[in-house]
Amino acid sequence: MALKIRDADKSNIYVPELARINKIQKVSPTEKLFDIILDDEVKQNNFNFKPGQFVELTIFGLGEAPFSITSNPNKKEFFQLCIRDTGNVSSALHRMEEGSKIGIRGPFGNGYFPYDKMRNHNILLIAGGLGLAPLMSLIKYILHYREDYKEIMIIYGAVNPESILFKNDVQYFSDRSDISICVSVDNPDDKWSGEIGVCTKLIPRVDFPVEETYVVVCGPPVMYKFVIIELEEKHYLPEKIFLSLERRMECGIGKCNHCHIGDKLVCVDGPVFSLWQIKNLKEAI
Amino acid sequence: MYKVLGKDIYKDFLKALISDFEFIGPVKKDKAVYDFVPIKNISEMDTNYKTTTIPPAKKILFLPTERLVTYEVGKNIKVSPVNESSEKILFGINAWDINGMNFLDEFFTRDFIDENYIQKRKKLIVIGMDSQPNENNFALSMGTEYARDGFDIYLTELKDKYFVRIGTARGNEIIKKYTKASEASAGDFKEYDRYMDNYRMKFNLNVDIKNFYDNFELIYNDEEFWKKIAKNCYSCGSCNLVCPTCFCFNVKDDIELNLKKGNKTREWDSCMIPEYGLVAGGHNFRADKENRLKQRYRCKLKTFLDKFGKYACVGCGRCIEACLAKINIAEDINSVKKEVSV
Repeated sequence: MALKIRDADKSNIYVPELARINKIQKVSPTEKLFDIILDDEVKQNNFNFKPGQFVELTIFGLGEAPFSITSNPNKKEFFQLCIRDTGNVSSALHRMEEGSKIGIRGPFGNGYFPYDKMRNHNILLIAGGLGLAPLMSLIKYILHYREDYKEIMIIYGAVNPESILFKNDVQYFSDRSDISICVSVDNPDDKWSGEIGVCTKLIPRVDFPVEETYVVVCGPPVMYKFVIIELEEKHYLPEKIFLSLERRMECGIGKCNHCHIGDKLVCVDGPVFSLWQIKNLKEAI
Repeated sequence: MYKVLGKDIYKDFLKALISDFEFIGPVKKDKAVYDFVPIKNISEMDTNYKTTTIPPAKKILFLPTERLVTYEVGKNIKVSPVNESSEKILFGINAWDINGMNFLDEFFTRDFIDENYIQKRKKLIVIGMDSQPNENNFALSMGTEYARDGFDIYLTELKDKYFVRIGTARGNEIIKKYTKASEASAGDFKEYDRYMDNYRMKFNLNVDIKNFYDNFELIYNDEEFWKKIAKNCYSCGSCNLVCPTCFCFNVKDDIELNLKKGNKTREWDSCMIPEYGLVAGGHNFRADKENRLKQRYRCKLKTFLDKFGKYACVGCGRCIEACLAKINIAEDINSVKKEVSV
């Protein structure tokens, strides 16, 4: 495992840091965006994370659950989580108000997108549904250092126009000339003029050269199977394709074992894996 | 360090330890059940056990339920860690259970250190003792019939004395303070060596673990094979509860009845129950019992060979005894071998 023993830190690894929900924005019928600030100012300033990492969020008296960080790592005043109202913790969170106190542990996971190697490459980002949330952090990171990368393309699939997340950001990306974004919906409404159907259908149109391209994918498990078929059809390299996996993660630190896939733990060895790693991990997809 | 302890002074040694320490040892609970419990009087103890239902070290170091964090709720939330531990002697634990504890020691101190485990472990004085293997024990095949480390003192019963292996400075202090052990002579070593040869012959159940590492991958996608093996599994998790190396847990948040305080409590979980891989939204990443059993075998017999260089199975045979569906890990290890080599 990549992590080192934290000798200096003798504190209890299960104790969450107190934090407050500074702002809540409804971004779709089922998702809200939460701005979170740690109570301890020094810890908030030192809250360094990489795109792809996650936190464990505690609602006191109710429970704890893992959520990917969605904001730009260069933003130090707060961090953001985009959360769907679907489980015990997430639905309770949706009922909370601005100013409410929560607990935060983390950031956890490798968040291993190989940024250094990605430089001077084309970046193809493929997001399905809520999968855009973790990818948003990477997109904003890459745009922060835009000149380091060649072409950037985002393929984003949503169920319907209403469920498109980060609409302002999506609009902003399409307005920019140095990044292209293609949004496809399964169920269009009368006003929809964009692509229709699953987002995997858009992959054949990508013309980035194989050797110079990194691909990053995040979405529901069912999407991965089809995305991989399309990417392999185009001969993109398995060690240059990265996917983020979802599993039940109770502890975030490789102890509770719920996120075991084969010999790997999603919480410490992932959640981001290369397709090459995943191909050697039976049960992963 | 090697010493010998005369049988004539053995009882006085134990009596002195019982009076000075919180002392946990094996007792016979009823006809067939042994357990490790606090001992107040030497007569309560029965070291002639073959196995216990619950592994002794795990039950002390990694509690079935344990409070990790407590907090005051309301306007000003105050969060504080909980970590209760006290010095204890664990007496009479056998070699494979010590090896099981060694696995947990390694697991809970790798990468992130679990303070709740390690504080208890540091305060646990381990005095090991050989016990006789039963018919489901395959510790010899797993290389755990002998404890190399993990104990402070280890006693092996010879004809009229105990052969004493001292593993730590703390163990040496205890021997010095509480009894008069003498240096082991060449004759003592000879007797000990003969005893161990003889002891190893008592393990009658053997498993063919050598090629499992590769064979398991070959058979991994053979659905019929795994369906056959897991056919009778009730997904009850008994195998996990009795395992000396199983470490899976849940952490849950609860609020106390006064609505003023809450706790984060961890409790043992089981990789065999259907909810294990269930995430919010209803997707279950390991919904089939054959996949769960397969993953259990991978975790026990493969994963930690890569990570720690040892198996997460000590061959104690407890899961074989606990299983209501008669699923037998020893038979299954051998049938992987058989299936592949046909």
